[in-house]
Amino acid sequence: MSNSLWRWPLLWISLLLISVVGMSAAEPLFHWVEPDARQVIYSRADFYVLLGRHLFVVGIAALVTISIGVSAGIAVTRKRGSDFLPLVGQVASLGQTFPPVAVLALAVPVLGFGTLPIIVALMLYGLLPIVRNTLTGLQEVDAELITAAHAMGMTPLQILRQVELPLAAPVILAGIRTSVTINIATAALGATVGASNLGDPIISGIVNGNMAYVVQGALTIALLALSVDSLFEVLQRQLRSRLSAS
Amino acid sequence: MSLRDALPTPRIHRDGLNPNAVLISLSIVMLAAFWTLDMVSMAPNRIVLGTGYSAPAAFGWPGALLATLLFCAISFLAWQPSQRHYQALLAAVVMLMALMPFGLIVSSFLLIEPELAQARLGLGAGYWVTLFILLLCLVELRLRLNLTRLWPTLLLSGIALVWWLCATLWLDSLALVQEFKARDQLFLRAVGQHMTLVGIAVSVSIVLGLALALLMRRYARLQKVAFTVLNFLQTIPSIALFGLLLAPLAWLAVNVPFLAKLGVSGIGTTPALIALIAYSLLPMVRNTYTALEEVSPVTLEAAKGMGMRASQRFWQVRLPLALPVLLEGVRITTVQAIGLTAVAALIGAGGLGTFIFQGLGQAAMDMVLLGALPILMLALVVDAGLGALAEALRPGGAR
Amino acid sequence: MIELAHVSKRFGSEIAVNDISLRIPKGKFCALVGTSGCGKSTTLRMINRLIAHSEGEIILDGASIETYDPVKLRRRIGYVIQHTGLFPHWSVARNIGLVPRLLKWPSIDVQARVEELMQLLGLPVEEFGHKYPHQLSGGQAQRVGVARALAANPDIMLMDEPFGALDPITREKLQDELAKLQARMHKTIVFVTHDMDEALKLADHLVVMRDGRIVQQGSPLALLKHPADPFVESLLGGLERGLKQAALTRVKDHMNSLGSALPAQSRIPADFSLRQALSMMLRDHSDRLTVVDQHDVPVGELSLRKIVKEAHLDKGNSRE
Repeated sequence: MSNSLWRWPLLWISLLLISVVGMSAAEPLFHWVEPDARQVIYSRADFYVLLGRHLFVVGIAALVTISIGVSAGIAVTRKRGSDFLPLVGQVASLGQTFPPVAVLALAVPVLGFGTLPIIVALMLYGLLPIVRNTLTGLQEVDAELITAAHAMGMTPLQILRQVELPLAAPVILAGIRTSVTINIATAALGATVGASNLGDPIISGIVNGNMAYVVQGALTIALLALSVDSLFEVLQRQLRSRLSAS
Repeated sequence: MSLRDALPTPRIHRDGLNPNAVLISLSIVMLAAFWTLDMVSMAPNRIVLGTGYSAPAAFGWPGALLATLLFCAISFLAWQPSQRHYQALLAAVVMLMALMPFGLIVSSFLLIEPELAQARLGLGAGYWVTLFILLLCLVELRLRLNLTRLWPTLLLSGIALVWWLCATLWLDSLALVQEFKARDQLFLRAVGQHMTLVGIAVSVSIVLGLALALLMRRYARLQKVAFTVLNFLQTIPSIALFGLLLAPLAWLAVNVPFLAKLGVSGIGTTPALIALIAYSLLPMVRNTYTALEEVSPVTLEAAKGMGMRASQRFWQVRLPLALPVLLEGVRITTVQAIGLTAVAALIGAGGLGTFIFQGLGQAAMDMVLLGALPILMLALVVDAGLGALAEALRPGGAR
Repeated sequence: MIELAHVSKRFGSEIAVNDISLRIPKGKFCALVGTSGCGKSTTLRMINRLIAHSEGEIILDGASIETYDPVKLRRRIGYVIQHTGLFPHWSVARNIGLVPRLLKWPSIDVQARVEELMQLLGLPVEEFGHKYPHQLSGGQAQRVGVARALAANPDIMLMDEPFGALDPITREKLQDELAKLQARMHKTIVFVTHDMDEALKLADHLVVMRDGRIVQQGSPLALLKHPADPFVESLLGGLERGLKQAALTRVKDHMNSLGSALPAQSRIPADFSLRQALSMMLRDHSDRLTVVDQHDVPVGELSLRKIVKEAHLDKGNSRE
């Protein structure tokens, strides 16, 4: 059971590691892709360094968005914050409309070039799926259950921690999954504003007309996204099986 | 007894005598931003970074005090929000938004000396924050007054008209206006290209998506394969997919003259369109498929029981009931395509993204804004329009 | 003891409960009956402060409920609702042990109590303890709901249409079990239902509500005999009232001692109801039945003429 559960993450992660460490071993292959180029392996930075930076940017953005998003979702579904619920709900659903490029472009004039604007853009863009899913998850909890919990004499905090959050967890986790997976791909755009990460080979490949670079960057990012996504899949399955174990 | 009784609090206070905490906090944040952040910046020419000016310097004391008065009025009215107060609030917010460009006119007189022809006025962080919060106020007021989406759209169009008039008549010194004037033909063409790309990509993906979804309903095995492939496509960053298409298409253009005659080439529109369609397929197919699958089996059973034939059931029951969800898919796809088309500028497909990347390359932030702002507005307009359409098509009106 | 004095509840301008007064002595079973929207559930929820009352006073064990901490108050009161409100992410055993755990009982005591209750409600621990609510049938789930309400041994139980969503056979079975439990435990129970038969079967005290007011209250037999108005009468079943009354009366209260005449062929146990006796007479084309005890030994005789004659005499009240 647990073996088959971990099969995909293990596969993707090992492929990711192989590609990061052994990219240069595939040089002949890339020569075939791009026969005219003098150099076919992106070499301005090592791939594991780029991967590390990429993970760092996405990770920081994810940490901030998860803590802000989930707490905002909880806050506006409480009695005291209920005034803010309609507005936050509207904005959360509206937020998906902001194209990440536009957000990134708007962040640069305020924050300058570099890693900071891409982190901010990822935060803004990643925040909304999390808020939205936290809201949906909490609101989908059967009102009768909450009444029952009140009637049994549970305090609001106990209800939140023992009833609402566990029941909303799968939906919240799905939001986090969407947010993080989208951000892994979006972070590549950071290369256009001077943040160095796995988007670098892609951009420089496009600029120099070197397809091999593009393939290298794209492959690594896709493998990273698949690794993280499959890890979330495992997490969600475990959560679900805990919720409705037989 | 209904469940409503069981809820610890009603969701929205109908009697409305409790202070509206949302508007009060928004107006306090706005007031703070107004007095602490720079409202405008002034630069002697295009490349030099501007100097920031706070509200009293930018708008003069009378202007700053007028704005402050209006912010306070919002707080005051929100303290005891009756229906009438909400209407007054709406008026105050609309007035503030309509007054904002006049503030800029004032600053251009106050800050720019006439002999500096190159000087340009930039919008400061405080200005953006104020504008953003006013928009939030508008959303909140729409919800409290229970207005349909049409109303804010009309009001915003009116405000936009005022802005546009001010910009064309008196705001020559505004950096954005200067950027626009320097390349107005280019700009209009870029908007056209952007919309054409989005339009073609979305139309093709609607047709393909519908066909694929219908096939998936017939052949269950296809469903898994198709979703796996489409999901995988989404994990490839958009710039990468655009880039990856360059080589094979260039090769095709060289080796298959017929395709080259059709306009296929390595850079430009073709790879952009292919990538856009590839990305658009997933949301399109997913929504179409779930829309068709979600139709209540009880309803379909009833239709069968009444003696409707399979084709009648599909055209008269399943499709009309699925339509709102289907349109939701079109909305998501279109909004996503508007954003992705901006990235397509990197491979020479044109569109508004050109300004963003050129601007980033030249460190000319106003040019970046000239690309980013219209994209944002386009996305919002399409979102609101298609959302309203889906709402109107839902049998029995909005949910 | 629960006492409601001139209690009202307003939601905005709407009056859900209008000036009701009610006394429920300790250990009694009180049913609130009425059509939907009559304010019976609201009344119930005001007792454990799920809803705050607007006017009047609700007194519990001599003190106004407003003097109690709402959380502590609710832990002392059992609560059962129609759709069980069981937590879907918790096992049956964990659901039942909720209130004792909230009250910080030692875990050994909680476990012992859970096992005791599951035994009592006919849910073997080995089979059901680790199941989840969605794996239970409606009847089983509601048993768990009742067990959860009983877990901390509260004196008072509030039940809001607990059997409303069950099929008729399961409903009747659970009603019988509840009656048996109540005969043993003597809780003070407030029970909301729109099913008059259920109320007649279970309650010591019947309260009929309409539009937020109490129309009539009293013992089931008293209401059956003297309905206050046509509304109560129609709730009580109109023409079927006689049969309902018969259902509340035991055979043994109306039988004669064995006469010299030949005993009738049909036999009926002494603790069956008159309604069942009448049905048997119709089925067997007979106007006499032989009454037997639990060992099937004849102890008396029942005749149709006597039942009809005594129907309005205040003789038999099997419940009190």
